[in-house]
Parts: sequence; C-alpha cells; structure tokens
Amino acid sequence: MSSEKINTSFDALVIGGGIAGGESALNLANNGFRVLIIEKDLSIGGKMILLSKVFPSLDCSACITTPKVSEISRHPGITIFTNSKVKSIIKKSKNDFEAEIIKYPRYVITEDCTGCQLCEEACPVIIPDQYQYNLVGRKAAYIPFSIASPRVAAIDIENCTLCGACEKVCPTNCIDFTQETEEYLIKAKTVVVATGFNLFDPIKIPRFGFGSYKNVLTSMQMERQLAPTRPFNTILRPGDAKVPDNLAYVLCTGSRDVTIGNPICSQICCMYSIKQAQLLMGALPMADVTIYYINIRSFGKGFEEFYSQAKGMGVDFIKGKIGKITEKENGNLILRYEDINENKVKESEHDMVILSVGVLPNPDNATLFHGEELKLDPFSFVNQTEPLASPSRTSIEGVFAAGTATGPMDIPDSILSAGSASSEAISYLIKKP
Amino acid sequence: MPGGKANNNPKILVFSTEKISDPAIDMAGLLKLHYPPTVYTISIPCSSGVKPIWIMYAYEKGFDGVFIAADGSDCPYGDSCTEKTGKIIGHTHALMKEMDIEPARLRMAAICSVCSESFVKQMKSFNEYLLKNSNV
Amino acid sequence: MNKKLGVYICHCGGNISDYVDVEKVKQAVENEEGVFIAKTTIFACGDANQKEMVDDIKNNNLDGVVVASCSPKLHLLTFRAVTERGNMNKYNYVHVNIREQASWAHSDNKEGATEKAILLVKSAIAKVRLSEPLYPIKISSKKAVAVIGAGVAGMRAAIELSNMGCPVTLIERDHFVGGRVAQWDVLFTTNQTGKELVTNLYNDLINRKNITLLTGAEVISNAGSIGDFKVRIKKTPRYIKEKCNDGHLLKAIQACPIEVPDDFNFNITNRKAIYHNFPSEYPHYPVIDIKNCTRCGECEKICESVDFTQKEEIIEIEVGSILMATGFDSYTPAEGEFGYQKFDTVITLPQFKRIIDLNDKKLTFKGKEVKSIVYIYCVGSRQIDGDNKYCSRYCCTSVIHAAIQTKKKFANIQNYHFTRGIRTYGKQEILYSDSLKSGDIYLQSYEEDPPVVLRENGNTLVKINDILTGGKEISVKADLVVLVTGMIPRKDNKVGALLKLPKGRDNFFNEIHMKLRPVETVIDGITISGACQGPKNIMESVNSALSAATKSFSYVSKGMLALEPIIARIDKNLCTWCGACAEACPFDAISVEKDENKDIAAINNSVCKGCGMCLPVCPVNAINLIAYSDNEIESMIDALAGV
Repeated sequence: MSSEKINTSFDALVIGGGIAGGESALNLANNGFRVLIIEKDLSIGGKMILLSKVFPSLDCSACITTPKVSEISRHPGITIFTNSKVKSIIKKSKNDFEAEIIKYPRYVITEDCTGCQLCEEACPVIIPDQYQYNLVGRKAAYIPFSIASPRVAAIDIENCTLCGACEKVCPTNCIDFTQETEEYLIKAKTVVVATGFNLFDPIKIPRFGFGSYKNVLTSMQMERQLAPTRPFNTILRPGDAKVPDNLAYVLCTGSRDVTIGNPICSQICCMYSIKQAQLLMGALPMADVTIYYINIRSFGKGFEEFYSQAKGMGVDFIKGKIGKITEKENGNLILRYEDINENKVKESEHDMVILSVGVLPNPDNATLFHGEELKLDPFSFVNQTEPLASPSRTSIEGVFAAGTATGPMDIPDSILSAGSASSEAISYLIKKP
Repeated sequence: MPGGKANNNPKILVFSTEKISDPAIDMAGLLKLHYPPTVYTISIPCSSGVKPIWIMYAYEKGFDGVFIAADGSDCPYGDSCTEKTGKIIGHTHALMKEMDIEPARLRMAAICSVCSESFVKQMKSFNEYLLKNSNV
Repeated sequence: MNKKLGVYICHCGGNISDYVDVEKVKQAVENEEGVFIAKTTIFACGDANQKEMVDDIKNNNLDGVVVASCSPKLHLLTFRAVTERGNMNKYNYVHVNIREQASWAHSDNKEGATEKAILLVKSAIAKVRLSEPLYPIKISSKKAVAVIGAGVAGMRAAIELSNMGCPVTLIERDHFVGGRVAQWDVLFTTNQTGKELVTNLYNDLINRKNITLLTGAEVISNAGSIGDFKVRIKKTPRYIKEKCNDGHLLKAIQACPIEVPDDFNFNITNRKAIYHNFPSEYPHYPVIDIKNCTRCGECEKICESVDFTQKEEIIEIEVGSILMATGFDSYTPAEGEFGYQKFDTVITLPQFKRIIDLNDKKLTFKGKEVKSIVYIYCVGSRQIDGDNKYCSRYCCTSVIHAAIQTKKKFANIQNYHFTRGIRTYGKQEILYSDSLKSGDIYLQSYEEDPPVVLRENGNTLVKINDILTGGKEISVKADLVVLVTGMIPRKDNKVGALLKLPKGRDNFFNEIHMKLRPVETVIDGITISGACQGPKNIMESVNSALSAATKSFSYVSKGMLALEPIIARIDKNLCTWCGACAEACPFDAISVEKDENKDIAAINNSVCKGCGMCLPVCPVNAINLIAYSDNEIESMIDALAGV
C-alpha cells in the first residue's frame, strides 16, 4: 500500500513485479530486508498472472499466481509502486544506489477504491483491452483485470474524454483528476533487475498475415481465450465469432530466425503450444489441432512425457517450416509449408492459425543505469558476467539479474534464477565490506 | 444396506492423506478422471492414524464402504506406515465381524501422490462391488 | 462454545461454478447451525474478496471461517492468513476442496457434483464448530546447514550460505570434491575448464572458517526435524597423512602393484589402489582405495605419509536445515545397446569427454587414430520402451560443444550427429548454428526407427533412415561411435531413503511444487538442488543451488521457528501407560512420565510431527490428534452421511 510517508531508503530495489521480481522480493523480505518493487504496469503478477494453465502440471496459472501475489502485496517488508518507471539508477558507492523513480498518476485514490466497477459501466469510451491482448474492448475508466493486484480502477488519461461520468457514479469519490506525476529519489543498497521479456510482434513477418488476416492470432491471445478470466466463454475466431474446429500452430515465430534478427530459441514456445493444444482438445473435443515445428524442445522436468501425452491425445505434429499464409474468402487460412518427413512442399487449410511468438529482451534494460554501465549480451539481454559460478551477477557489483532479464526461460527456471539473484543480494547485504 | 442415496450410488468414505493420496485425488479431478460423486474424503495426516472406531462409526451412520487411501511406502512419516495401516485393517475387520458387517466393505490400497488413475479405478470397482452386493 | 461462522463458496471464475451450482450450495448451508454469513464469490483468492473477508470477520466478530474453493495445497495458507488479518485464530479456519474433488472430478455429473459439494461444505462447518484456537509451537533453530554433495551445486551453495553468515558442514561421499564438473574440460558459454571452476570454488571455500568440508564422508543416520536435525556421518580415512611429502607419494603411487579401472575416467584407463583423481584434485593429496588394497606395504616402504592406522570416524552434527546436492549418475547403456560393449569403438559421452581431455594433438582411441565420429543422441533418455521417458536436457548442447572442441583440438575430424531433433534451447542455439557452419553433419532418425550400429569387414558402420533427406538410408563409417547418454537419478539412494525424500515419476527427488517451489520438499527443512532434482546444466544447477541456499537460510536465519501446533494429545485420565504409543511413534516423541500416582504417556511437543500413528494403537483410546479428534471426525462423518 502506498502512502505519503514512504521511506525513501530500502535495502533492496527490485525492478519488475512479475513472478521473478516477486519471488526475489519475498526471499529478501522473508530474511528481514526491506524491499521496494517498481512495476511499470497497473498490477503486479507480470505475464504469469494472465496465463491459462501452466505446463506440464496443468495447474491453473491464475490460481497459483494469486496467492504469491497476495503474499507479496501484503508482506510488511515489501513496498510496491505500480504504474511507475525507473528514470535512472546511479551507483554512488558500494551499497549505495540512488534511483530516480517516476510514479504516474492513476487518477484514482487507491486506498478508497472498492473495485465496484461502476465507473467502468459509466465510462462511454471503448478502446482495445491490452490485458486481453486486444481481443475485446475496455473502457477508459477500468479495472485492469479481475484478479489484478491491486484490484482498483485506473483512468486511461490518453483516451479519456474528461466527460466526468465516472466521477458522478463513484460511490467513494475516489476518482481524482488532479493527481500528478510524482518523482521519488530512493536509496537502496542492492538492486535486482527482474524486468522480464517482451513478446515478438508478428507484424514484422508480413507473410504470416498477422494484423490483416483476422483469424491469425498470437499465442498470447490464445492464452487469454483459454484463461479463467477469458474474454469469451469459449474459443472463438475473431473474424466471425465462429468456434474453430481446425487450428494450426506455427512454432518459432520470431525465434531461431536470423531474418528478423533473433537467432536464438525462445525456450518456452514448444511447451506452451503443446499445453494450449491439450487445453483446446479439452475445450473443443471435435477440433483438430496441428503443430508445425522445426524441433520440439520438451527438455524440462515432465516435459517429454507431456509431449507424448499430446501426441496420444491426437495433436498432429508436422515437422515443417511455414513459407506463407494466405487467407480465403471465408476467413480460413492456407498454410504453405515444407513437409520435412515427406520432403515436399504442401498446402493445408485451417480455420484458425496461432503464431507461437518468441521471447525478446526488454529494451528498458539499456537505459536503467547511468554512470556505471549495465552491460548487455549480444542478444540485448542483461549480460551474465559469471554465467556458471554466479549466474545472476551482472557487470555492476551489487546489481543482480532475475528471470527472463538474462534470456528466455520458463517459470521454474525464472523462480530458480530469482532465488539465485536474491541469494546473492542477501549475501551482498550481509557481507561486511 | 441403507438405500435412497443420491444417484443411487453407494456412499463411500475415503480416509485420504494430506501429503500423499490427496494430491493424487486432486490430480484425478484436474485430469477430469471421473468417479462416482458419492465418494467423500476426510483428509488426515497419515493413513496409519485412522482409528478403527471412526470406520465403525461411518458404517453406523450409513456409509456402505470405507476406503483407506494409504500412504504406502511413500509415507513421509516413515517406512512402518504400510504395516501399521495393515494392522488397523485387521483390527477393524475383527470389529466388523462382531457387528456382522461384511469385511469386504472395508478396503485399503496405497495411493501414491500421482496414482490418480489407480485411485479412480479403485473407486469405480469398489462402487460396483457395493452396488452388486446391495442389490442382492 | 457456539461459534459465529462465515462460509464462502468460490466460483473460481467458472472452474467450479460451471459444474457445481454454487448458489444452491450456499442456500443449502446458510441455515446450518452457527453460520452467520454465507456468500459466493467469483475468486475467493482475489485481493478484493480477501479484503471483504477480513472486514466480515472484524465487523461481525466471526470466530470460524470456511472457504470452499480449490485444493488446500493452493490456498489453505492464503485463507489462514486472511483470518489472521481479521484477528481470528487461523486454526479456526477450515478449507474445503470443491474444485479438484467436486466440480472437476464430477464434471460429467453436475447434480452429483453439487450434492457432493454441499455435503463437503457441511462437514467442514461441522469441523469448524468444534475447532479450537491454536498457537504455533516456538522452537529454536540451529543456525547451521548440512550440504550433502560437494559437486559444483553443493560447493556453490555452501559458499553462499557462508556469505550469509551461516555455518556449513559440506559432506562429500567421494574423497575428492568437484563431482561431475571436475571430469570435464572446457565448459560451454565460458572458456573456463571444469577443473578451473572446481579449483576456484574449492580455494574459496577451504579458507572459510564457517565451512567444514568432510570428504570420504557418508550420512549414516538422521534424527530430529526442521531446526534441529541430528546427522551422523561416517568418515572413512584416506590412509594418507594430511601434510604429506609429494615426491615420496608420487613414487609410492608408482610402486603400488594394484591396477583397477579408474572410475574418474569412466573406466577407460586404470589407476592404482593409491591414487589421485586428476593433477589438481581437491583436497590435494591422494587416497588409498582400501577395498582394492592388498596391504602389500610397498607404498609404506617408500613414503612416510602413508598411515594405515587411521580409523573410521563417526561425526555427529546438529543443523537446522539440510541441503541436498547429490547429483546424478550417467546412464550406462545395456550390453549391445547400439553396439555398446560389443564393439570396442562404441563409447559413452562422458568417456568421450575424458578421451578428449586425455589426448593431446592427435585423437586416438585404443591405439587407432580417430577421424570420423558418429554421435548417437538420446541414449537412455526419451526411451520409447524403457523407463526413462524424460529428456535429459543437457546432452544436445553438451555433445555439440564436445564435437566442436574436438575439431578445435585435433585435425581432420568429421562429426556426424545422429539426432532425434536438436534441443539447444535458448541461447545454446548459437552453438548449434556454429556447429552447422563448421561442417558437422546432422541426421535425424524416425521415432520408432533408431539408428543401427554394425560391424562390416572390420569397420564400424552406423545406419540411419534420415528424416532430413526424406527417409533416405544413410550409412556412415565411424572410427568412434559416441553414445550420447543422459542423466539418471543416483542408483545409490541411501541418503535419500534415510531422509525419506520422496521421488517423482522419473525417480529424481521431488519438489513441493513443480512451478513455484522447485527447491523445497515435503520434508520441512530439507531442500534439493542441482541434478538430484532433475537433469540440469551447470548454470541451472547453480541457480537452483543458490535458491536452495536462500530457502535453507530462511529456515535458520532467525534462530527460531514457529511449528504447527497440530500434535498428539494424551488424555491423562484415560491413559494407563502400556507403552504401545511410544512403540508406534516413529519419531521417539513419546515417553513415560509420572502424573500424581500413576505412569502416563507424555508427548514431546517439538518432536511430535502430528502423524497420528499413536492413535489407533491405544487400547483405551486415550490419544487424540489436535484438529482430528474423535469429536471432529465423527461430526464430519455425520455431516457427510447426511444425518
């Protein structure tokens, strides 16, 4: 909970309130250190809180993330700034980092909002909902999503027409258009960079037609369609709201592809696609699901078994690269691909195509630190200076990287990396100079 | 046998264990492996902690069958679990005989933490057995 | 004792309410005795509902709460915490699982699922009516951790704990530290060698006052529990004095007449019964392999450092937490598997790595120069018929790296990779691209049609029907066939069995939660790290080691732990002390005590784990488990029976 009396010095500054940042913060706080989390979004929980289920255990992602998120948000040793950004961090000396933080206004008094959603009903503005990856609309006065933390309204000032409808209906008078951007100067003894990753935007591969063919979706959009807080009650084609019955996955969209500048493998797409395929078979028992792949990388604990299970359920795996997607008049899509097993070029028709988009570095990492430089690796992830003996160490002593800030990884690996970063941060805080 | 049950299925009380058989029973649900909804669990720390008087009480209150989803060799409290749970069964069988309750109405099997399918199989077969024998 | 109860029934955003009529459940229970508030909620676990519950509890002075939602594994602690924030005793909270055990298990029968949910909620209400407020048992926790296994994961964890100011006993079964990594030459992503990595870690830890390294040491028993494990360790002697004369020792090694296969080199070379591991192994003095030593006395004659009078030691330590880093075994192919042990040109990946390390300038094996190398992937992993269904994760990258190193070190090498689909995940992909660019040839077999190794006219041939060329049969003549063997769980699981650590389907140690709690185990106070939990590369092992170090540290850092108060309780009036309970207790938590003029049983509160094994053996029914008393269980049975 934020208040005017926020202490301006902390033991640790954690940048990013996703699952890696949250785990790091908890480890630090559980050992008695005071932590500040800076989250740029309106809610903590990162991408994990928006997922459907997790592989290979098929636990509902929201269900396992929410307790973690509540634990983080109510921990007495943890302060959270949402809707905030790091302007710059300067290392003054050992154990002395100075961070300039910008806290953007929510135009809602967080403490007073009950999350009743009356403002949302009253707001006349409709724009695409970024938390549903633009599948549906939202209002300019809105609660980010139903399990957001904090679950309070925010005003999207860029799209707001200042009509005042929300103010009129708010039962607690918590809407406050006079709020202004606040700047904080914060001292911390150590910094954990848990800035996460960005998803590849498939608009950069025009031959797949994303953005112009309505029934070509990204895997994150499908993730939302399958999530418990999903936009529709079933799986729908955005083009005509028809329930699809023949879906295709295009793996390695934006990964292992030098033509778009990303030569590395994203490490998670095979598995999340296999998971989605299994969930789709459950949700749409009559549907066919085909996965077009280069190599299936089911390398983690229980993954290979999960892959076998999908094959057993009838998911069709075709080894082949997609050359081009074209749209038919009825909205169906023709995939032209090279079938490696049969060594020939083929075409197939599907009524929905999901692009399994890859993991890209968060560009913010380049501008966080001023003075001493936070070095990046050749792929623009945070560089690990001792990848084997101390994987979370960075080029700045006292700054540790957690989760996908250093490269693609799945949830358990992010948790382990966060454990590693917080462990080094604790040692750094305890060790006498 | 007492009749008039929901769905006409026999009522089965399962003593499950928090660390071992509960996860398997939970996973059965997760995988949507169906079994009769007249199976109810009471969860306890360890299957070798079930008192025979509880089992007898369940029959008295109208349960048709009691099933101990035992920890078996996975018991976090030690190797003696299987043997001790076995002794409980033996002791309860003696009490059941005294009360003229058929011993087959008490079953036990080790259900490991991922033995979802085995649990469901056990429930289905127990249910069928009780159905057949209540119709006689 | 009449409680005011709050009951919350969760939709779970449809996960429950799609199959269970939650409104009907609410209506069925809202008039139960004691129920003051009954509500349904879309997400009971959501922040908004948690807040609402806190307010409900405070505003109405509720002293019992039931939430019917998902498995207690997920949210029992969440809601206990909610009740605490409402200033209620958290043991007056009862959790009902109507998702995994009602809505999902009976999604084929909505009516049945709803009926069941109603009875489950009623039985929880019956239980909470009888529940009593409980307070955690506070015990002290020894600020010390035992780390078992001194491979890279164990050494790294020990150093980190030491950094945090926590004393560590590092226990290694072998006489030398470094585990698997010590056996490897140049490592991937850095140009460090395995030896260098091990050397750095060893030099760092050996000078620390708060790390005690025990080599040749095996855990033989364990008693106690979180905060206070009593670990007994058997330390076998090296039969060499610590301050030894190097020159004489070298001669003593030469003089030893015994030769046995050297398992450090995976049996491709022999060693003496008095031996080193590698030139800079740690601790830096040899050991006498007493099993193979014939006590001929040759070494003693030459070297005064040999000391056969050294005795086995038993060491007992007390620690607050145990961190497991026991590593993995490499898969040993069956005789005849891809020609293993049938043709002398067939070896495993670990053997191959030792061969690269042991050869200089020219790569030879069994006296013949090696130019053409075939690598057969996934041996012992992803088995279609065998038990090892899992992928070993590290091998694709490891073998491609080894193949590249081979080309760098030796001239005229041609590598042929017989794969089942390359899995160089993440940034390791670059290594694969490099390998392709350097001219390595990649082939891929069909899942049901593995490559075949055969012998023709004195040559070793490997045949494959290759996916990548449309199923063409390709045959390659190989000077050396390397079976890319995966990681398997330690065959010797004595220490795991002793600590009663559960294993997963793949037989590696199992974590509490695959996604979010990967280093904790069901045994409180014991963490797992590195490859003993599942295949990992070095970076992943170290990340997990440091994670485990943090968790272990948090068990001991405060010197104090609050334990669950759910333990056995003796009814003094009924007890006649027969000793049956003490005999049944696996933790020695029960002893005899004088009470007025008779003997009765007494429970040691910090040792009792609340398993309940003592309950059924009591002939006079004088023992109850707190929160599972006869009254509670019987009232639950009443509710479930619908009476």
